[in-house]
Amino acid sequence: MDNKEELLKSLSECVVEMEDDKIISTAEEYIKSGYPAIEGILYGLVDGMNKAADLYENEEYFIPELLICSDAMYNGLDVLRPHLGKSDYKQKTKVVIGVVEGDTHDIGKNLVKIMLETAGYELIDLGRNVPAVAFIDSVKNTGASVVALATLMSTSTDNMKEVIDLLNREGLRENVKVVVGGGPISAAFAKQIGADGYAASAVEAVKLINRLIGV
Amino acid sequence: MQDQMTPAQRAAAIANGSEVDRLPCNPNIANGVARVYGCKISEFNHNPKVIAEAQMAAYRKFGCDGLRIFTDLFPWAEAMGATVAYPDDDTADLLKPAIFSVEDIDKLHPANPYKDGRLPVQLEAMKYLKDLAKDEITCSAGIVGAFTNAFFLFSTNKTLKFIHKNPEAVHKLCRVSLETCKAYAKAALDIGLNPTISEPMSSCTVVSPKVFREFSLPYLKELVDFIKSYGSNPVVHICGQTNKIWQDVVELGIGGISIDNVASLKECKLAVGSQTKIMGNVDPGGIMYSGTPQDVRTKTLEGILDAYDSPKGYVIMSGCSLPVETPFENIQAMMDTVREVGYPVCPERVREMIQSSK
Repeated sequence: MDNKEELLKSLSECVVEMEDDKIISTAEEYIKSGYPAIEGILYGLVDGMNKAADLYENEEYFIPELLICSDAMYNGLDVLRPHLGKSDYKQKTKVVIGVVEGDTHDIGKNLVKIMLETAGYELIDLGRNVPAVAFIDSVKNTGASVVALATLMSTSTDNMKEVIDLLNREGLRENVKVVVGGGPISAAFAKQIGADGYAASAVEAVKLINRLIGV
Repeated sequence: MQDQMTPAQRAAAIANGSEVDRLPCNPNIANGVARVYGCKISEFNHNPKVIAEAQMAAYRKFGCDGLRIFTDLFPWAEAMGATVAYPDDDTADLLKPAIFSVEDIDKLHPANPYKDGRLPVQLEAMKYLKDLAKDEITCSAGIVGAFTNAFFLFSTNKTLKFIHKNPEAVHKLCRVSLETCKAYAKAALDIGLNPTISEPMSSCTVVSPKVFREFSLPYLKELVDFIKSYGSNPVVHICGQTNKIWQDVVELGIGGISIDNVASLKECKLAVGSQTKIMGNVDPGGIMYSGTPQDVRTKTLEGILDAYDSPKGYVIMSGCSLPVETPFENIQAMMDTVREVGYPVCPERVREMIQSSK
């Protein structure tokens, strides 16, 4: 194995092993050796985050572990990103994400955000307890093509429908894919309120949006 | 259909193995009692009499086997310095944790339940409730466990990461939380209510069983032992999936374990039913809030069939606190189904009832 491959492996391992300090020097060494930043991101950091997500799906990792893995990934990203070439910047699909009004639980939403960023999406995070109209304003202002709605509370599911109704009323619905997720939500519910899809986990959310966007 | 016994008589009879009129059932109405009583939820923040009367109103309407003073998850963190938002007519929510830097952990003090935040309001509510409930129904005092409270003192995300990055800090947060929990539990016991412990952050949906055993279980044990030393035996509720930690929790020698709808009642019965009473677990969102009375009936019957023969007893319950706007007819459907099944439970008849209700 040559030095580049070893460093890529080490970047990936730093993410999986929650080495959020060590990854900084590893990423610096990778750049100093003159290897392309884009490959460090894709075959190092993203590879590690995907492995961490697998461990999460298999119940070997839980939320604390996944959060630290993502810290490591972002720390590595901070080192590599300034070294990206112009051609590495492709137009990213923008996703507006938020927990709908009436609910303030955001651990699940944060995991979805991390996994979507890992997969190369640009996230606009509106936070928690977000009024329906704020999603619409954000779509207008950013030109986002995906809206991701989360809730853990069955009482706030009505507000997901309101977001879709507002998108319809504003004539924005055709250009925007709406995905929903969270404890009380089901695929049947998503269909019932006219959403484009439902995902049961953060990893599934990435697959769902990839499918809807056609990548 | 009328109950033939009071909840207190029913509980006593079950405890000594006598005949009863039906299985105990606690829909876990929570702040929805405001809808029964006709008050705003924000009144629970300052008016102890209203808390107690609203609980009593729910009991009178539905005949549920359990009343609890427990308005939200945050009075203990609030009493230690956290900031809580009080929506006009919804459940209180954590706005800001008590501290923002790890150095400030040492500045945290255990709360004084007679003085700090809304804790005195809750204690007053317990006295009113005790007077109203007399010997008809035993009342409990809800409390969050030390591990869960730790997250409200120092931001959830940061505390989650500290589990690996600064375990000593998490232990410190748990330790000071535990002192608050004990002081509050003691105050409730002095009034004559039995503490029940909710530990949502201990869920296998959030942290691994290994993390639970290292950071939550020791404090849970200390709190349970403390409560038991006063002759009361707390029920423990943990949200989400919990199958991998049932054994740990039950080995504390608790009065019962209450499980959420994502866990399996049948599996729970087989695993720990011979050691403690099991309670659960109709889906509070998908069925109780969003379903029809028919859905509630079916799920209640399925739960009964899964767990009626649990060796140490079974209480039909929702998987977690009900959403505030849960339709009354769904709560009524749960109670009526349990009454119709009666006692002793005849599994063939329950199966027939499930068949005919489909």
